Amino acid sequence: MMRLRRWLLIIVPACLALAAAAASAEPYLAVQQGYACSACHVNPTGGGLRNDFGVVFAENAMAATGLPEGLPAWTGRVGEFLRLGGDLRAGWTRTDVPNADSQHVFGVDQLRLYGAASVIPDRLALYLDEELAPGNAHALEAYVRFSDAGSGLYLKGGQFYLPFGWRLQDQTAFVREVSGISMTTPDTGVEIGLDRGSWSAQLDVSNGAANAGAGSGYQVTSQVVWMQSGYRIGGAASFTQSDAGNRRVGGLFAGLRTGPVAWLGEVDGVRDDGFSGGARTLVAALGEADWLIHKGHNLKLTAEYHDPDRAVPQDQRTRYSLLYEMTPMPFVQLRLGFRRYRGIPQNDLDNRRVVFLELHGFM
Amino acid sequence: MAGLRIRYVRVSALYVALIAGCAGNGAGLDVSGRPLPPGGSNGGPLTADFASIQDHVFTPICTVCHAGGGAPQGLRLDATNSYALLVGVPSIEVPSILRVKPGDPDNSYLIQKLEGHAAVGAQMPYGEPPLPAATIAVIRQWIVDGALQSAAAASGRSFAAIAATPAPQDVLFESPPRIVVAFSAELDQTRIDASSVRLERVLGSDPSATRRIPVALAVPQGNPRALMIEPSTPLADGRYRLVVTPPPDTGLSSIGGDRLGGSTATPAGVVVTEFELAVQP
Repeated sequence: MMRLRRWLLIIVPACLALAAAAASAEPYLAVQQGYACSACHVNPTGGGLRNDFGVVFAENAMAATGLPEGLPAWTGRVGEFLRLGGDLRAGWTRTDVPNADSQHVFGVDQLRLYGAASVIPDRLALYLDEELAPGNAHALEAYVRFSDAGSGLYLKGGQFYLPFGWRLQDQTAFVREVSGISMTTPDTGVEIGLDRGSWSAQLDVSNGAANAGAGSGYQVTSQVVWMQSGYRIGGAASFTQSDAGNRRVGGLFAGLRTGPVAWLGEVDGVRDDGFSGGARTLVAALGEADWLIHKGHNLKLTAEYHDPDRAVPQDQRTRYSLLYEMTPMPFVQLRLGFRRYRGIPQNDLDNRRVVFLELHGFM
Repeated sequence: MAGLRIRYVRVSALYVALIAGCAGNGAGLDVSGRPLPPGGSNGGPLTADFASIQDHVFTPICTVCHAGGGAPQGLRLDATNSYALLVGVPSIEVPSILRVKPGDPDNSYLIQKLEGHAAVGAQMPYGEPPLPAATIAVIRQWIVDGALQSAAAASGRSFAAIAATPAPQDVLFESPPRIVVAFSAELDQTRIDASSVRLERVLGSDPSATRRIPVALAVPQGNPRALMIEPSTPLADGRYRLVVTPPPDTGLSSIGGDRLGGSTATPAGVVVTEFELAVQP
């Protein structure tokens, strides 16, 4: 334990030096800081359980104010071989749909518990991402990973999120809905990955979301990301073979830091043979600007575009979001957001307005 | 510094505007964004039949995700596939529960997901406001009425029972308040009387030894293709079968005069469903 504390004392100043200012647990954080996803997360492709660096970063660099000196705080470590973490998101949402009464809802959007056991440190690990709410507890991720620290290669087997594009906190983003690959759609299979230097790459073979219960078909997904301190670009592709019809997805994404603003962009295209009326080509795009106003205060502006069928004119949807994210103290974040959906006028739901206030606690 | 920040805000706004483009004006499209057929319209109000629910709920709302070769849980809710993948099909998340169990909305996973009390995962539609209670009530009514397919699809069949709740070989742990049988055509209600169907309890190991259970019969309001059979008292443990009386006695028939048939027809009647009741202590 003493060795750990000494080690933390060494890396904390380094973190603070690298971390220009505060951010939130989202990919724009990596772009702002110039980190790889694996710098803060146990999972090489990001999301979920934070590693030592991630916890230290959350405690010391994200919040507007730090903890009083000497106050003990969560480190994530439970003994020598076990790490635990979690996320809770609860909030209030008001939705205004044209020609309908406003809806106000308080709810727990997410309570998740993460755990990782280092069976053989730096080599063999078991990982669990358990969703405790909403609904009954069930595993979203449960896999074993074998890593070769020297080469940066790893092999993962079990149930996990597939790598494709920006791993956004908002799973309802058009790029996540249209690609069909998000943190709501874990899949079962194997992943071989490389995380070395400026490169991160993955190749996955899995069942495919559309093949659940069918017992046939497969999905192959790959992603390559090249990172530099001020920018990064990536490409991803996925092919699903299913009885419903084959599905091909391609995506390009990039991130850029200019002063206090981190920019994220992603464009995905889908060719889906599984529609009853014939194949469709779908397109989705995301643009995001995150302005770090001050340490612990982030202003996020996103614009999204979705064309559900390139062959049909005038059916496009857009979505604009404006979010203010405040991290007043370590491990707690408040998010106030407004979303404006625009779609064809005959679909009221596609023209709704949403205001939400979210409390995010994490460890 | 202030000037720099204003510049960043302006650049951000321009970037966002370029990405977002414009939403479609919907000209010539239906509510789901699909081209209208010549002379087509966007249809009438939501009613408790499958075609209406498909047009007002499944297609415009659910198929944003549940369509094509990437449909979550393999559940495609487009008009071609939704009925076959919903009615009588075990859910992937909780395989012991059918996605739609005809006659039993409380134990239909579709309703549990829409109302937000399913055992697994988030309320549907994901990331969108919950469906209005009135809309869910209509879907519930459709299930209570037997979860029939559209009249057009049903009309292609001979007159037959196409679904029943409890389903054949079901094992129940509490007495069902009613048994619902869905037929492929509209029932001739003048031919429905106490002798039209028999609910029998099988006595011992001899399947021919039975005791008749008194029931009340009713056709749900708004769905003349379903028949509800309500036991007058809660059923006790045992094995039960529902038999439709054959012609020429009374016998059910469609409003077009077609008599009921089926592979399980015997001189004693048509066995529509047979289930086990094992009440938990």
